[in-house]
Amino acid sequence: MRYFVTRSLQSLLLLAGALVLVFFLVRLTGDPVALMLPKEADAAQREAFRQAMGLDQPLLVQFGRYFLGVLQGDLGRSLRSQQANLELILERLPATLELALGAFAFILLLALPLGLMAGMYPGSLLDRLALGLAFAGQVVPNFWLGMLLILWFAVGLGWLPSFGRDGPASLVLPAVALGFGGLGQMLRLTRTATLEARSADYLRTARAKGLGPLSLALRHLLPNLAIPLVSVAGLQLTYLLGGSVYIETIFAWPGLGGLLNTAIQDADFPLVQAITLFIACFAIGLQLISDLLYAWLDPRIQHR
Amino acid sequence: MRLVLLLTLLWAWALAQSPSGQLTVALANDPKSLFMPRAADRTASNVAVQIYNTLVAVNDQGQIVPELATRWSISPDGKEYTFTLRSGVRFHNGEEFNAQSVVATWESGQDKSNDYAGNYSLVKEVRVQNPTTVTLVLDKPNALFLNILANFWALVPPAYIKQVGLDGFAARPVGTGPFRFVSRSADRIVLEANPSYWERGLPKVQRVVFRVIPDATTRVAAVRTGEIDIANRLTPDLVAQLQGNNRVRVVSYPNDRVYYLAFKNVEAGKGTPLENRQVRQALNLAINRPGIVKAIFNNQARLVAGFVLPGNLGYDEGLKPYPYDPEQAKKLLAAAGFEKGFSISMGCPTDAYVNINEVCLSIQRDLAKVGVDVSLEFKTSTAYWSKPRYGAVGAMYVDSWSSTVGEALPRLQGALTPGAYYNTWEDEELAKLIEQIGATTDRAARAALYRQLQKRMYDDPPFVYLYQPVIFEAVSARVQDYRPRSAEEYFLKSVSVR
Repeated sequence: MRYFVTRSLQSLLLLAGALVLVFFLVRLTGDPVALMLPKEADAAQREAFRQAMGLDQPLLVQFGRYFLGVLQGDLGRSLRSQQANLELILERLPATLELALGAFAFILLLALPLGLMAGMYPGSLLDRLALGLAFAGQVVPNFWLGMLLILWFAVGLGWLPSFGRDGPASLVLPAVALGFGGLGQMLRLTRTATLEARSADYLRTARAKGLGPLSLALRHLLPNLAIPLVSVAGLQLTYLLGGSVYIETIFAWPGLGGLLNTAIQDADFPLVQAITLFIACFAIGLQLISDLLYAWLDPRIQHR
Repeated sequence: MRLVLLLTLLWAWALAQSPSGQLTVALANDPKSLFMPRAADRTASNVAVQIYNTLVAVNDQGQIVPELATRWSISPDGKEYTFTLRSGVRFHNGEEFNAQSVVATWESGQDKSNDYAGNYSLVKEVRVQNPTTVTLVLDKPNALFLNILANFWALVPPAYIKQVGLDGFAARPVGTGPFRFVSRSADRIVLEANPSYWERGLPKVQRVVFRVIPDATTRVAAVRTGEIDIANRLTPDLVAQLQGNNRVRVVSYPNDRVYYLAFKNVEAGKGTPLENRQVRQALNLAINRPGIVKAIFNNQARLVAGFVLPGNLGYDEGLKPYPYDPEQAKKLLAAAGFEKGFSISMGCPTDAYVNINEVCLSIQRDLAKVGVDVSLEFKTSTAYWSKPRYGAVGAMYVDSWSSTVGEALPRLQGALTPGAYYNTWEDEELAKLIEQIGATTDRAARAALYRQLQKRMYDDPPFVYLYQPVIFEAVSARVQDYRPRSAEEYFLKSVSVR
């Protein structure tokens, strides 16, 4: 319980820090009015717009208003579209979650079985294949892979759509492109953990009982791998949620990443703040959950 | 029997006339707003124009033609415009179009939260004479007023806009135009043919779907797979992939935009060699613009001789772009007393335009060859344009200015009228000439003034005129009658699909 409380408090502190940082960082980049209004607009129109958007107030006053708003669940309005930020975010959240979960599923479905097998039979052809894949995952930039996938599977073969979010088929390419980096990491981790566990006493006992490789892997190995895997999986999911800016842009995937990209280009400060805060909440929340899960799986952690 | 045949033919003819098929158009960014006074990017206005009508319109030849006003008259002092309105036109929601719609358009357009509020507030009074006659009153003559009406005054239904407010209206816009709004989500906007559109036989497609695809490479891929019909804002290297593809054709046209190196004679430019005319001429000769166009733009840009471009009113064909002549440049610099050259600062908006960093570096290199030592200041666009008079971006700076009205006046006013937000070159004679152009409503007289101005801006250049970009689009072979204009505008009502 005490662990839960202190971890939660730490998370809140982290969130407040993120909020302050984002607010002041975006304001270092210049004046949004310069990009919002047409070039012909005169000084009087600029001032009127500035007032209408509340940008004429001192920074600290703007921050105070923003902070109070956030406490009440009000994330402000976009300078560009003049829609409520929360509305814009919630509209796009399902797409981002879908993409992140799709990529996550791709990682788990490929990394777990492949990593287990590779770890159980080191040096085999399968192991070398897995290592090659893991290496590729860590060195191939995901936006480049995304373009290649579009050229191969959409333009060349015509199997899958090249962009957009229109049903399950359109999820395949962006999910693979986004998950490929994580696949490498997860594959290596599963493989290494399996390799280490191979010589552990409990496995030797299980093997001595006459268990086959499949039940060995599923009943004995996997539960023991769970602890490191859960913590890495938490990190990966966070990365997938926040790191999809490029992939969403390339695949015209209507999620938060693409929205953040345009918001930054347009100097749409309130929207940049809102999205970053939202993603930070998600990341910190996920981290908290994975820490708590970790403690529950391995009670020793709470007492350290 | 004959009757049956006739009826069948008639039926087939009617079928051929009614709108059919779907047109899918890629958008390079999510449109800002579909409410015209807030549609401050080309993507947004290109979607919005399909929904509305204006009092007058600009046709493909750049002439002003009637739209919802059937005729109009201008008072001798150029301040009062009286329009006779088309009757029998209805908005998509059933409201009748009349003089009150003009009032509602004027009132809602001026709201301070609108980007283009200034294009509505320039009208001081709207006088409703009767339901089909209305007079707009300006406080001073404005040569571009009809263009402004054609570009911005998208007529709105008074009862509906009052009921839902501006934000509500922007979310579900209603007009009298060829297409009516169906839906908008994060990645697409759907419009469908207005069944009771007043222009007979239009529109030709039943449905238009705009898809937001920010990445140019993906837009090209999607037009190759047939998922979209029109992709714009492409680069020359991307359209090169499409050569030999018989399902896609490439459309290219020069954009009504000038890139230029602006000199300052205020703030950071005050007291510098730039104030000397011979120095400015020398810099025009010293920059290898043909080289920039060839090496950086693969010849897909045009050299220009001034701010008035081919196709603009009053364009002077006789003026040729300054040649690349570093020897002559050195002579001029020597004659001006700078045979040893000088040092100067220059701003460059690093993320704003295609290849702009390469252009800035190339200018720096060229000027070094004639002894002018340039210190470059790269800034992001938000920082670059955040100060009036570009206080922070050096004694000269790279910039660009487009025009959507078929004339150079907006960019001339913006860059050279004292008091304009981005004016950094003060020249009384030029300013007077520009003011005169702005107040001259007669086109022929205006054209003559433009010629006079070009000569003056050529001989005593306030800028180095760099180049005019070329726009590339990829269009599916099934699309007919698609005619984009030089300001990247398109009207889809006469487009059909096979």
